[in-house]
Amino acid sequence: MFDDAPQTRPSLLLRLRNDRDERAWSEFLTIYEPLLLRVMRRRGMQECDARDSTQQVLLRIYGAINRYQPDGAEASFRRWLFRVARNVAISFLSRQARQSMSLHDDMDWSELEGDGSLESDPFDQEYRQQVLAWALQHVQREFHLNTWLAFVETSVHGRDIADVARELNMSTGSVYVARSRVITRLRTKVEQFEADR
Amino acid sequence: MNPEVTHYGRDQIQQLLDDALPEPLATDLTDHLSECPDCRAQLESLAQDSAWWTKAKPDVRVVLEDPAAYSSSCLVLLRSPSVDDEDESFASDFAVDFLSASDDPTMLGRLGEYDILEIIGRGGMGVVFKGFQKELHRCVAVKVLAPHLAQSAAARRRFEREAQATAAVVHPHVMAIHSVAANVKLPYLVMPFIPCESLQQRLDRLGPLDIKDVLRIGMQAALGLAAAHSQGLVHRDVKPANILLETNVDRVMLTDFGLARAVDDATLTRTGIIAGTPQYMSPEQANGDGVDHRSDLFSVGSVLYAMCTGRPPYRADTTFGVLRRIRESTPRRICEINPEIPEWLERVIWKLLEKSPGDRIQSAVDIATILEQCLAHVQQPLTTQLPDVIRSWPTAAAPDLPATAPAATYASWRKILLVAAVVSLLIVIAVTLNQNPSSNQPGSDAESATVPAPRTSRPLLWDAVQPEIDQASAEIQRMRDASQLELDAVQNTPD
Repeated sequence: MFDDAPQTRPSLLLRLRNDRDERAWSEFLTIYEPLLLRVMRRRGMQECDARDSTQQVLLRIYGAINRYQPDGAEASFRRWLFRVARNVAISFLSRQARQSMSLHDDMDWSELEGDGSLESDPFDQEYRQQVLAWALQHVQREFHLNTWLAFVETSVHGRDIADVARELNMSTGSVYVARSRVITRLRTKVEQFEADR
Repeated sequence: MNPEVTHYGRDQIQQLLDDALPEPLATDLTDHLSECPDCRAQLESLAQDSAWWTKAKPDVRVVLEDPAAYSSSCLVLLRSPSVDDEDESFASDFAVDFLSASDDPTMLGRLGEYDILEIIGRGGMGVVFKGFQKELHRCVAVKVLAPHLAQSAAARRRFEREAQATAAVVHPHVMAIHSVAANVKLPYLVMPFIPCESLQQRLDRLGPLDIKDVLRIGMQAALGLAAAHSQGLVHRDVKPANILLETNVDRVMLTDFGLARAVDDATLTRTGIIAGTPQYMSPEQANGDGVDHRSDLFSVGSVLYAMCTGRPPYRADTTFGVLRRIRESTPRRICEINPEIPEWLERVIWKLLEKSPGDRIQSAVDIATILEQCLAHVQQPLTTQLPDVIRSWPTAAAPDLPATAPAATYASWRKILLVAAVVSLLIVIAVTLNQNPSSNQPGSDAESATVPAPRTSRPLLWDAVQPEIDQASAEIQRMRDASQLELDAVQNTPD
């Protein structure tokens, strides 16, 4: 289930530890690379700095994956990842501050300095969104454009079904069926993703 | 329409959802759903756990607002589909969107004062067109920043930097720049149009190159690089695609200073893994460490390797895999792939592919000098010697770190013991000679001959031993560095 997905199950972790499993790493990157980029950008980093920092986090994770021990609590891997990301971001930002001799006022430090405990797991939402983005991307390809648009316009943007049906030249019944099909697929896809972890 | 049926069964609705309901039932049911709220409710309860969708919906909305933010872009997977087949449509789209109409119907369009003829290349940053400048009646190459990048301030800055950096290096082996247009919708820079192919294209076409070509291309690329380094620039993206080979002329030109950066400049991206292939990066780049000019020298080693074997030294399916190889592994021996490559050239390449910058050949000028001498030797083996220094370099790349470090240490100690033995032996001989200085004197005046004997024998002895001692101290230094590296690795691990 998506609601209580045990984030990053041990199987992916085990696979990440296997040096030859390039696939595991590319799966890992699909989810975590854009996620880290967004987190870094949100810290007020410029695009290129965000990319640099993201790369550093990923390389550190790679370097230390064999020493990482899950602590048994929920989302252990993600909290570890977040701590690494936080350390990289802090060292980058303080280096930058030293260089420019001025702190960026618009920078949100509070989250960076958090203790990384579950309550303040800032990756949780990002992670959910990332998995959904992955599922959306895959599911979209499976449907005709009209089916997809019927779903987006009514289910996501909450527009009136009759209006959308008219615009798309569909019957209202088809719009109902279309969006129900997409949501069903979406959910299956997300669950499948979780099961594969 | 089937008005007699007031409601459909659950099974049928489920089948419709699964797209498994035969016609005309499916159409009938769909039409019925338009009218019947009860059946719609049934459908929706079957389709979506409303709790699931309620929770997912806000996230879906956020994602769909900016899908690009959720796609992987920075560490591009090498498996990404080839873009070659898109070139044509891209060029025409581009022409429609960004070029103004040209007077000449055979042209794609116009950009500034240049008529644009055709697309000649595509890179991570943009597109290169062949253009024609009517006023000066000459062909030019116009490199245009890709439209999606032109919106990014960082990319524009980087593009501008490329122009500045390249313009600062005037050298026969560096591609020149005619002019730059930075403050336009799509920034572009104009270079001479030179009929050429990239080293990458030649490798793809012909595979491994002849040894003379390897040495000549390597030497000229090193010279171009030396010019950039003397300006305080680090190229950071030395690879076969950025080395151009002029058609019909034996001239090599270094190009694409898009990632180049002054050593002391911290404003732009530090490591530069932004786009493209990382196969030719140095370990310090792959580590995300700061780099200096010696990073480029490692890349030259990788390029030489590729010219000898037809493929880059570090290969894997993903960018990440390649970076790991570069950091940790030793490439396959060149002689195993191409037996025609002599051992001495392999030594030069391993010397450049040293993981630690301090162990490499230390400057691009040195590389050029060494390769030039090697080339002279290949062309005139009887009259020209190989550079002496090559003999002291190892025949195989340093073994993987840190897994096989103990073996390396053991081998090094053995070498040091051997050197010590040789030194003692030579001292014994020297002492013997000194004790009996007149034994091999050709002259009759033994008195005057005793004076020069110790003077000449000592430097002679020293000359013989010096390289060995140098090598031994280099080995010791390397072992120190290696243990330091391991220490650093331990200290730098995340918490």
